[in-house]
Amino acid sequence: MFQRLDTAATPTRHVQVWLDGEPHRVAETLTVAAAVLQLRGWQGYRRHVDGTPRAPLCMMGVCQECLITIDGCANRQGCLEPVAEGMRIERQGGDIHDG
Amino acid sequence: MMAESRNADIAIVGAGPAGMAAAVTLADAGYRPTVFDMNAAPGGQIYRQLHAPQASDAVMGKDYRRGRELLDAFLQADIDHRPGSRVWWADNDASGTALGVLARGQTQRWQARQLILAGGAMERGWPFRGWQLPGVMNAGAAQILLKQGALVPSIPPVLAGSGPLLYLLAWQYLRAARPPALILDVAPARRYGEVLHQVHRAWLGRDYLLKGARLIGALKRAGVPIRQGITALEAEGDTAVERVRYRHKGRWHTQPSELLLTHFGVTPEPQLARSLGLEHVWHAGQQCFVPRRDATLAAGTNLWIAGDGGGIGGALNAEREGRLVALSLLENEQRTTAEQRREGQALLAARRRDLEARCLLERLFRLPESWLDDQSAETLVCRCESVSRGELDLAITQGGAGPNQLKAFTRCGMGPCQGRQCGESVTRLLAQRLGGTPDAVGYYHIRPPVHSITLGELAAREASRA
Amino acid sequence: MKQRDFLIVGGGVVGMAVAYGLARAGQGVTVLDESDDALRASRGNAGLVWVQGKGVGMPRYAELSLESAKAWADFAGELTERTGIELEYEQRGGVDLCLDAEEARSRQADYAELQNASRYMAANFRWEYLDREALTSCLPGLGETIPGGTWSPHDGQCNPLYLLRALYAASRALGVETRPATPVERLEATAGGFRATTPQGQFTAERVILAAGLGARQLASGLGLTAAVRPVRGQVLVTERRPPGGRLPTPQIRQTASGGYLIGDTHEDAGLDKGVTLAMMQSLAEKAVRIYPDLEAARLVRSWGALRVMTPDGHPLYETSTTHPGAYNLNCHSGITLAAFHAEGLAEAIRDDRLEQSFPHFSGARLHVSAS
Ligand SMILES: Cc1cc2nc3c(=O)[nH]c(=O)nc-3n(C[C@H](O)[C@@H](O)[C@H](O)COP(=O)(O)OP(=O)(O)OC[C@H]3O[C@@H](n4cnc5c(N)ncnc54)[C@H](O)[C@@H]3O)c2cc1C
Ligand SMILES: Cc1cc2nc3c(=O)[nH]c(=O)nc-3n(C[C@H](O)[C@H](O)[C@H](O)COP(=O)(O)OP(=O)(O)OC[C@H]3O[C@@H](n4cnc5c(N)ncnc54)[C@H](O)[C@@H]3O)c2cc1C
Ligand code: FES
Repeated sequence: MFQRLDTAATPTRHVQVWLDGEPHRVAETLTVAAAVLQLRGWQGYRRHVDGTPRAPLCMMGVCQECLITIDGCANRQGCLEPVAEGMRIERQGGDIHDG
Repeated sequence: MMAESRNADIAIVGAGPAGMAAAVTLADAGYRPTVFDMNAAPGGQIYRQLHAPQASDAVMGKDYRRGRELLDAFLQADIDHRPGSRVWWADNDASGTALGVLARGQTQRWQARQLILAGGAMERGWPFRGWQLPGVMNAGAAQILLKQGALVPSIPPVLAGSGPLLYLLAWQYLRAARPPALILDVAPARRYGEVLHQVHRAWLGRDYLLKGARLIGALKRAGVPIRQGITALEAEGDTAVERVRYRHKGRWHTQPSELLLTHFGVTPEPQLARSLGLEHVWHAGQQCFVPRRDATLAAGTNLWIAGDGGGIGGALNAEREGRLVALSLLENEQRTTAEQRREGQALLAARRRDLEARCLLERLFRLPESWLDDQSAETLVCRCESVSRGELDLAITQGGAGPNQLKAFTRCGMGPCQGRQCGESVTRLLAQRLGGTPDAVGYYHIRPPVHSITLGELAAREASRA
Repeated sequence: MKQRDFLIVGGGVVGMAVAYGLARAGQGVTVLDESDDALRASRGNAGLVWVQGKGVGMPRYAELSLESAKAWADFAGELTERTGIELEYEQRGGVDLCLDAEEARSRQADYAELQNASRYMAANFRWEYLDREALTSCLPGLGETIPGGTWSPHDGQCNPLYLLRALYAASRALGVETRPATPVERLEATAGGFRATTPQGQFTAERVILAAGLGARQLASGLGLTAAVRPVRGQVLVTERRPPGGRLPTPQIRQTASGGYLIGDTHEDAGLDKGVTLAMMQSLAEKAVRIYPDLEAARLVRSWGALRVMTPDGHPLYETSTTHPGAYNLNCHSGITLAAFHAEGLAEAIRDDRLEQSFPHFSGARLHVSAS
């Protein structure tokens, strides 16, 4: 749903992250939520406690709609955590009970 | 028991234009302020990622580039900059302010003699039916993706709402050769004419008006359809947005789209100031609460607020307020030179003019106060706890006579966003239903943590220092 | 307008339970309350319907708590029926943890004494000390360093905020007039009853009930009632929602129906400051992780401080004025547990003006004796 412009201004290092077990390379300037939006869009991003699907709204730490599992810790705020080499990201679209 | 405190003579929360300008001014005067920001790099909202821009200048426009000088000054000055630090707790007394800071998974306790809050603004939570669906995103959030990684939508989005940021983003997408499918503006076309009639203000605000006219002109020339004066908005779809519905000139229209980017203006990010118990007043023009500050930007003893966190003035004003607050603080310590005092006076005058001019924007982008009332009863007001307008109405008739009673009765505002998204909607609704002013209705009690922290992180004091 | 039967000063859980009880018994009631941001224990408590530990040193209080706990299911059921509001009440038993061996010893001694204190208690009060091993079946995942705790089948939990809401909804449906933002500045006797003066005007009724929590300190003595309460702060942390843990509630920590863990049980003398302190929050977090180590990764979503309404001996105060007949004062620090009793037995005794006769142990006399 989001793609990187091929005319990006600054040469940027890419890092490898694992999203739901698959390796991907993303710009190191991204946060986890941004990387997931680039790689997968919002389909299956996360499920709310009421069972409805949700996805990041604010990208700046306000709305808490970006909760995601990072390196095994559930409910991290994806929009505040920069991606890092080797990071393991799991979407919480399934049965994870989140806040 | 207590983890030992670290000391900061002057602490600044936020490294946006306001926080950076304050820090640079203080560093010039021989202080070494401590600046906390939860982001990995300085810049704040407007200048996010400016140290290594991702999208080109041609796409971003020159307002973005403009921050470079300030950013460089900030990066070069002797400042204790602490990126990746979330200030989640604050408590203020006569001796200063204690801060709880989460950095690298640990809770640090800081004691600051002087505190400058420069936490900036957030996009206003403005409920409409379907706004919780994936595929609805804040326009500012989409702009963050653009700044962070030159990410643009792969399908033409619908942009809806009100405010300069909406047109700025549309223009940036246009420059990136990804024009939006449709722009839905809440402001009716006749507002532009009304605003121009306020001749004095229009003159003061000519820069804003020209900038706006340039953006809109470019979009129109490129053939982007713009509907001004929409009176209702809805997002529809099963598991994500499929259609956008809107009412224009009394009739409903449907636009198929999987991406709806909305923006309903910005409001001060209230949590830290609220949790410190600072007094807030309703700003009728900005349609939100703002913390009470005096002319020196003091909000309490040894406590100051600069930038959009104190009321919306925009990036240039935030930078100006950053300098002003630093000068006020120096004046307070009797450390200003005659030249600095003159500079302070000039900044104050410029600020007055600018805020006067901004009244135009407020007028132009004014949101209908009756919006929530016009929503269908199932529209969610509180996204975190899924509380609808209808449920709030029921609880009001049962005796939920204030924001905190209503929160207790319905869980509205009890979720992890701590009411940032619903707080002012609830104040508005109560004011309408019970007939009072927003000031009389009040707001939620805000308690720490104002940013998320796990029990483990809270319990983990800095071991080596305890 | 026809003079009301009762004015109740205070729209907390005590005032509203009594208002509900009186209205159900056909009385005309007006409740006057302060504004939205006033001090309110009723919005800051832990929601335990709890018998353990109540009435040590005053068996009649223990009996009352037990009776109220037994009546709670019906009380909750009726409120739900009237309002559609679920109170999330459950009574599956509860555990009061002992964090060290000394606490375990003194707790057992206290309970043994309590059980022998009256016939009723001997026949009805059931409890058992369970060591860590035995506790792990009702508190799965209990931390290694917790030695044990006392278990009792009488204990339970509810959502105290929904209780308050249901009391409001039911009372209003029964014709109770509730007036928020109407703080009583003065209370005085008139020829035919009592008059309350507020910034919103004057209100009169034949009888007046003070259920003002800590507000009793300003209003009680004018009507010959006892102004004895003092604030005792408790700080509470709440985590994000977690999967159901199948763990019985404890006063130290319990999982609420919506999934969050509520962590509390501090007792501080902090005057009227209902704030939270970093030191106390950290020690609560440490304790929570000590009790359930899996909570280390749980995010904290809310915290607050609230002020207990504490009488000098910690037991409820239900008194009738001797100088101003028709004026009553109600104070207690377990208003959730006692809500069923307040709506039933207490409201009836007040309606019939036989509070002193029915509940002599709880009158103000005991406090005056000990004070002199
Ligand atoms: C998403 C968004 C996009 C925007 N884009 C533009 C734009 O393109 N052009 C424009 O003119 N205006 C824009 N604005 C308006 C914006 O408010 C600017 O006017 C300007 O950034 C305000 O500067 P500031 O210094 O007051 O705050 P900000 O720039 O918002 O900086 C505040 C900083 O404080 C940090 N912070 C806040 N609270 C804490 C805490 N508790 N702990 C640690 N750090 C904290 C934040 O992370 C942030 O970096 C935008 C606003 C938003 C919300
Ligand atoms: C941290 C904590 C945990 C607790 N946990 C439990 C528990 O698990 N189980 C349990 O049973 N109990 C518990 N309690 C105790 C319980 O909350 C109280 O006993 C109960 O809420 C008292 O209710 P109240 O109506 O007397 O007082 P309040 O809730 O304080 O209400 C008094 C009301 O009177 C109003 N008022 C005061 N002065 C005036 C005036 N002049 N005019 C008009 N109105 C006035 C106030 O605004 C307020 O609304 C706990 C308390 C605390 C603080
Ligand atoms: S997207 Fe809103 S908090 Fe992360």
